[in-house]
Amino acid sequence: MIIEQIIEKASQKAQGVQALLLTQETSAVDFDNDRLKSAQSSQRTQIEVKVILDGKVGISTTTDLRDIDGVVNRALEAAEFGSPAHFELPEAQALETVKIYDPALLPLQKPEMIRMGQQMMDMIKTYNPEILAGAAVYKTISRVEYANSRGVHYSADHTDFQVSTGGQLTRGTDILFVSQSLGQKKRSVDTEEMATQAIEYFRMAENIAPIQSGDMPVIFTPKGFIALLLSLGLAVDGKSVYLGASPLRDKLGQQIASPNLTLIDDPFVEYGPNTGAFDNEGVPRKVNPIIEKGVLRNFVYDLDTAGRVGAKPTGHGSSRSLTNLVVQPGNLPYEAMLRNIKSGLLVHEFLGLGQGNPINGEFSVNLLLGYKIENGKLVGRVKNTMLAGNAFAALRDITAISREREWVSGPYSWFSGLFPYIQVGKLSVTAK
Amino acid sequence: MRDRLTEALKSAHDIEYVDIRLEDKANTWVNFRGPDLDSIGSARTVGGIVRALYKGGWGYATFNDLADLTKRVAEACETARLIGTGTTYFAPVEPVVDVVKASLVKDFRQVPLAEKKALMEEYNQIILGYHKSIQASSIRYSDSFKTIWFANSEGTYVEEEVPDVNLLTAAIGREGDIVQTAHETGGGIDGFQSVECFHDKARLAAQKAVELLAAPPVTGGKYSVVTDPILTGVFTHEAFGHLSESDFVYENPRMQEIMTLGKRFGSERLNIIDDGTVPGGLGTHPYDYEGVPTRKNYLIKEGILVGRLHSRETAAKLKEPVTGNARAVHFQHPPIVRMTNTYIEQGTVPFDEMIKDIKLGVYALKAIGGETAMEMFTFSAGYGYMIRDGKVAELVRDVVLTGNVFETLHNIDQIGNDLGWDSNSPGGCGKYDQHPLRVGLGGPHIRIQNCVVGGQQ
Repeated sequence: MIIEQIIEKASQKAQGVQALLLTQETSAVDFDNDRLKSAQSSQRTQIEVKVILDGKVGISTTTDLRDIDGVVNRALEAAEFGSPAHFELPEAQALETVKIYDPALLPLQKPEMIRMGQQMMDMIKTYNPEILAGAAVYKTISRVEYANSRGVHYSADHTDFQVSTGGQLTRGTDILFVSQSLGQKKRSVDTEEMATQAIEYFRMAENIAPIQSGDMPVIFTPKGFIALLLSLGLAVDGKSVYLGASPLRDKLGQQIASPNLTLIDDPFVEYGPNTGAFDNEGVPRKVNPIIEKGVLRNFVYDLDTAGRVGAKPTGHGSSRSLTNLVVQPGNLPYEAMLRNIKSGLLVHEFLGLGQGNPINGEFSVNLLLGYKIENGKLVGRVKNTMLAGNAFAALRDITAISREREWVSGPYSWFSGLFPYIQVGKLSVTAK
Repeated sequence: MRDRLTEALKSAHDIEYVDIRLEDKANTWVNFRGPDLDSIGSARTVGGIVRALYKGGWGYATFNDLADLTKRVAEACETARLIGTGTTYFAPVEPVVDVVKASLVKDFRQVPLAEKKALMEEYNQIILGYHKSIQASSIRYSDSFKTIWFANSEGTYVEEEVPDVNLLTAAIGREGDIVQTAHETGGGIDGFQSVECFHDKARLAAQKAVELLAAPPVTGGKYSVVTDPILTGVFTHEAFGHLSESDFVYENPRMQEIMTLGKRFGSERLNIIDDGTVPGGLGTHPYDYEGVPTRKNYLIKEGILVGRLHSRETAAKLKEPVTGNARAVHFQHPPIVRMTNTYIEQGTVPFDEMIKDIKLGVYALKAIGGETAMEMFTFSAGYGYMIRDGKVAELVRDVVLTGNVFETLHNIDQIGNDLGWDSNSPGGCGKYDQHPLRVGLGGPHIRIQNCVVGGQQ
C-alpha cells in the first residue's frame, strides 16, 4: 500500500507523519450554446504528506504515485524550516456511518448523461427558442485514504453527481443569464424540476421593472442567501478568530443574528454534497451548530488553529471549509412572505460578491438577477441595480424565514447547503 | 518526449484532429499569516490532456498517470465519436516545431527554501511592526517552474518552459469594528529577483491599511472617475476584454450583432489591444495552447471595434484570422479563448490636466477584484481619493465601480500619457472553472464620466 510506505519511510526521521491519497475517475458531458459540445474522461491521483520533525511541520504533495521518495523528502526538507506544530496527529476514533456512495451511479454512462442534459435543454428551448441553452452532467467516483503514524487508517469511497442547466437570453444590448445546479452524492436528481426552475427564473424576467433607489425590504432566494453567508463564513474561520481578524472573535454565546435564525453545519446529511465521516487531517467530523436562535455557537478549527487557541478541531479539514450548511425552516410560506411586501426586491444572483472587505460584513454588489416586488407580486427583473449593506447587520435584521427550502450547491457556489427564502427588513438599493 | 507524443498520436484513427499536452510542474510556497509561519511546502504535479475532434464534437481525456498515452488517445477519440454529429470548424494553421527555454535572471529553483522563508519573514516583520493598529498580516510567496509539451496530429510540436514567481504582501488593520486590508503584489516570469527588495512595498501596504482605518466609505452615486493604470487594466480586462473572447460570440447570433466589427464603441482616442508578445508581460507566451503563435491584436482602434480573440475553432466559425488566444490554466482543462496582456493604448493627457476641471469626482486606485456578466461589470478599487475642485482630496474606502460596458466605454473622455502595467494581477483571471490564469493588465490613467460608484447613499 502506497500510503503505508509513505508513513514508514517518513517515520524513519519524522516523529509524526500523515498521508492522504485521493484517486478519482470523472465522466462529464457539456452542452453549450444549444449543442452537445464536449465530453470528458478524467483520471486523478493526488498524494499529500504532512510531517512533524523536531516539533515543526512540513508538507508536500505530488500527483505521481511513483514519486514517494520525492514527496517524503520534500516534506522533510520543508519541515526543517516549518512552523511549530501546535498539535498532535489524531488518534483512531469511531467514525459516524455516512451515506456517500450510491452504486446506482456506477453504471451511468455518457450516452445516458447526454440524454439527461438534452432533456433539460429541450425544455428550456421549448419555453423560448431564443434562449441559448446549456447543460452539464458530471459523475465522479473517488476513493480517499487517510493514515498517520499513530496507527490511524481511514478510507472512504464516495460518488458525486453534479447536474446543471441554464442559458442566456440576449435582447438588444441586454443579456440575461440563468443557471440552476445541484451537486450531491446520489444519482436521483429531478432534471425536469431543475429545468422548470430555470424556466421560471426566465419567465419572471420577461418584464423589466423600473426601480427607485432607497432602503427597502429584500428577500434572498436560497441561492441568493449565499451573499449574507459569505462574511459569516469568513468570520467563523478559526484562523481569522485566532489572528484577531474576525469581527466575531469575542462573540461566542452572544446574539449575533435574529433569534429566528438557526444555522447548523451538518456533515452527516445523507448524500449531501460535502458529506463525509472524517476530514483530510483524520479528524472525525461532527455536527456543529454555528448559530442557534441567533446565538453564535461555534468557530471552525483545523488541527493547527485548534492547537493555537486551545480549542478542539471541528473536522473541517486543513482548509476549514464548512460542509453542508442547514438553515432551520421558518413557518411562513414563501408566497405569504412575498404577499406581505408592498415594495421591495427578490435577489438571486450577484456580480462582485466577495470583493471589497467581506470579513467586515460590508458588501456592495451588482444584481445579476433580481426582481422587483410590488404589492406582494413579482413584477419583473431589475437592471443596473446595486445592493449594499452589512451582512452582519442584515442577519440581525432577518424579519421572516420561509417554510420552503432548497439545496444550493455546485461548482460556482461559495457554500453548499439547504436554505430557505430569507427576508431582511431593510437594505440600501441603488438604481442607476 | 517528442517521439513518445508522436507515437501516441499515431494510434488515433477515424478522427479529424488530435492533440496531446503534458505538463510537469514543481512549485514551492511560503506563507505567513500574522506572526506565524502559516505554511511552507512544495508540490509536484504531472499530468496531461488529450483532445480529439470529430464532426464538431470534442472528446477530452485528462490524467495524472502518464504511463499509457495510447490508451488516453483512444479514450478521447472514442468520446469525440460519441458526441460529434455536426460540422467541424477548425482554422488551418502552419505546423510549428519549437523549443522555448526559460530565461531567468535569478533562478528561484536554486534559492534554498530557508532563504525564501527568511526574506518573507522580513516583509512580514515590516508590516506587523508598522503600527499598533496593524492586526494581522498575510505574506504569500509561491514559485513554479512548469514544462509543457504539446504535439498535434498536424505535426506541430512545442516544448515550453514556464517559470512564475508570485508575491502578495497584505496588511490588515483594525480599529474597533473596522477592519481594512491593503496589499502590494510583485513577481514575474524572469526570476527570484522580482520579489527581492520588496521592503518598501510591504511598508506601503501597512501604511495604506492604517490610513484606510481613518478613511470614510465613499458615498454611492455617479461621479467623474479617474482610474490609475492598474485599475484601468482591470477595467479593460473585465469590462471589455471578456466580451472580445469569441467563445461568447461565435455561436450566439445576438452577441454577434452587438459585437459587430466596424461598430463604434468609444471616442476616437480609444485604442484597446491584446498582445501575447509584450516583453516580460504576465500573459506573454510565444505560442498559445494550440501551438498558434501569439501576436498583437487590436480590439478597438480609434473607437471602432476591429477585432476579437480566437481559438482555432472560433476563428473558423466566424471566418476571422486566428489570434493565438487559446489558453488553459493547466492540463485538467482544455484551452479556451483567453486574454494575454490587455491594455488601453497610451494617450496624451497628463494626470493633472485630467482632474483639473472635475468639481467632485473619485480617483480610484489599485484593484481588489473584478467580475463581469457580459454587459455588466463590477470592480473593486483597493482605495480611492475624492477629487474636489480639480485637486486630489481625502482618502476614501470601499470604492466599487459598476456599470454597463457599452455606456462606460463611450464615457471614457480622456486618456493619460502614462502607460503602466500591473506587476501581478491579484489572483489572476478566472473564466468558467479555469482559475487563476496569469494575464497582463495595463493602461494609462483614464477618465470616465458618469460612472456609478457603489456604496450606501
